[in-house]
Amino acid sequence: MRVEYINPFVEAAFDILKEVLGDDVQRGELYLKSTSKSVMGVAAFVGLAGNVEGRVLFDMSMETALAIASEMNGETLTVLDDLGKATITELANMITAQAVTKLHDLGFVFDLTPPAIFTGENMEITDNEVEALIVPVITKQGKIEINVAVRERT
Amino acid sequence: MKTKMDFPSINERKPEGQGAGGEAYKVLIVDDSMFVKKQISQILTSEGFEVVGTAGDGLEGLEKYKELYPNVDFVTMDITMPKMDGISSLEKILEFDKDAKVIMVSALGKQDLVKKALMIGAKNYIVKPLDRVKVLERVLQSIK
Repeated sequence: MRVEYINPFVEAAFDILKEVLGDDVQRGELYLKSTSKSVMGVAAFVGLAGNVEGRVLFDMSMETALAIASEMNGETLTVLDDLGKATITELANMITAQAVTKLHDLGFVFDLTPPAIFTGENMEITDNEVEALIVPVITKQGKIEINVAVRERT
Repeated sequence: MKTKMDFPSINERKPEGQGAGGEAYKVLIVDDSMFVKKQISQILTSEGFEVVGTAGDGLEGLEKYKELYPNVDFVTMDITMPKMDGISSLEKILEFDKDAKVIMVSALGKQDLVKKALMIGAKNYIVKPLDRVKVLERVLQSIK
């Protein structure tokens, strides 16, 4: 998978996370997964379809999701209720919307699905024939992994 | 004991969300995200605006506007929503009330849709993530 697909998502995630959570956001080392990858507990999933296709996953632990949703709402959420899920969905929405603009500018044309939130334990994701590039982003609230598996449509 | 009444009121100011006579400006919030609805609502009510209705999609927004009219001063309208998007809802609200004040709310990256909305007759736009100061500034520019 080409790195140019993931960069816009990482840049957008940085911009948006800094804006909603404060300046303390750091980038971890990028890594590649060609086999199944475990999912941490809360994952926002956005599908892409067009001349590139695949999906983006914003993956985090339940504790991180709750801390982020609490920070964004200005109140402590102890369970990931409808408001908490709507908050994480909106975060994924803002990041993907900004990333997509950058990708459109690079000439990639595709549509996005609305984000879906998956929650649970011992989940894993497998992408057949598409490698996933993963960039961990460290915030004060915890780690979010931006997991992008995209390929050009043939 | 000193009370608030003992001090001069030099720091008191009228909330921005109220008209000359002290009446609150009335807003209808149209957005499919519970989080964004809550955020906009908190920003506006903290400044004295009154949320007279909320809707979760463009169609419901249009129906609510008709129902509330003329007791609604402005609308905040998300762009991407199920059933009817914000642009179509804006068009239909303006067909019903050509003086309607509609402010689009958009994620960064929807510039083309925002431009389209402004061409159709939206009064202004707000980009997410929402910043309290910018939200109030854009809203006040649009309604005053």
